[in-house]
Amino acid sequence: MTLDLFAARGTIIDGAVSGPLAEAVRGRLSYARYALYDRGSYDHAEPHEPELIAAVTALAAEVLGRALVFASARAIRLLPGDYVLSRHDHAETGVELMVDLSAAIVAGAEVDYRRNGSAFFRMPSRPGAMSIVERGPGVTCSHGYVSKRVPAEVVRLAVLLHDP
Amino acid sequence: MIWRAPGSWPNWPNWPNWPNWHDARPFPHVIVDDFVAPDELPALMAILEDEPVARYESDLFAFDATTPEPTTPALRELRDAFAAALAPALAQHTGKPITRADLRAYAYRPGHYLLPHSDHQDGLARELAYAYYLPSPQPPIGGELELFECAIEGTELTSTRSARLIEPRANRLVVFDVSDVSLHQVREVLDGLRLSIAGWFYR
Repeated sequence: MTLDLFAARGTIIDGAVSGPLAEAVRGRLSYARYALYDRGSYDHAEPHEPELIAAVTALAAEVLGRALVFASARAIRLLPGDYVLSRHDHAETGVELMVDLSAAIVAGAEVDYRRNGSAFFRMPSRPGAMSIVERGPGVTCSHGYVSKRVPAEVVRLAVLLHDP
Repeated sequence: MIWRAPGSWPNWPNWPNWPNWHDARPFPHVIVDDFVAPDELPALMAILEDEPVARYESDLFAFDATTPEPTTPALRELRDAFAAALAPALAQHTGKPITRADLRAYAYRPGHYLLPHSDHQDGLARELAYAYYLPSPQPPIGGELELFECAIEGTELTSTRSARLIEPRANRLVVFDVSDVSLHQVREVLDGLRLSIAGWFYR
């Protein structure tokens, strides 16, 4: 496991989830489609993965050096042509974990965080890795457009944590 | 005069589709092919070649384009001539008080796109949007202008559905309404090069 301090308000941890575990989770997700095109185009699912969520929560607490409690989680899947725009973001505050459960790297499929419109952190496509971002007021998140030029599937688990 | 001023066009002001401006679906728009006389196209392309281009990228788009304000006098003159040639007729036929236009040149390469948006922003006074497709050394695959049918409650869209695809054919002008429901996108260019000039008409 390596720790990559990417920016003052965001961190990437490689190897947070193993390939076999990510594959098993992907197989258990049951998706519904979201398609309001001025906001996003993607599949979403409610993850029933208490052990995985507990593990990544503990990892985040260890990295940040403080106690954190689970608030909410959701899984999203982006296929070629899919995206999630910043304006669709729910703008909740807390610590957000973005766990990349994809089977392979997808070029250009990044998660961008902006504060009051200015980008401050980017999570690249990195299967098995997890980003930790402090979401204060004015922070929004977007999932970049996935090209139709090559077959691709991006699966992410987003977990929001709060201070106790 | 590069632009085919309305007075010189056959049957002006009875453009094809003009009678249907307000009835066009999913929202008002008009398509005009052969917009520039063929012998004027080299001069138009020469003006654009002198303008610097940079990459622009956000969660909504990725493309190469000129700056919002042209840097060369020739392109500023081209923009002003475009507005002067079209604004009166557009105002007449759309019922919108058009006074001026802006203009940028765009190059969409493979992987470039502009995701769905309406162009409408309070305070910007955009009335109409336009795109004029330039000849390309490698005509694009993809890059269509896609118009969406929308339902709206208050200011929030509650459903969006693809309703029309417009091919970025060389020497084609598309003008469309700007409103809360004028949702549209430029589909990803899968191959080739999509060249255009585009912008808005303002009140």
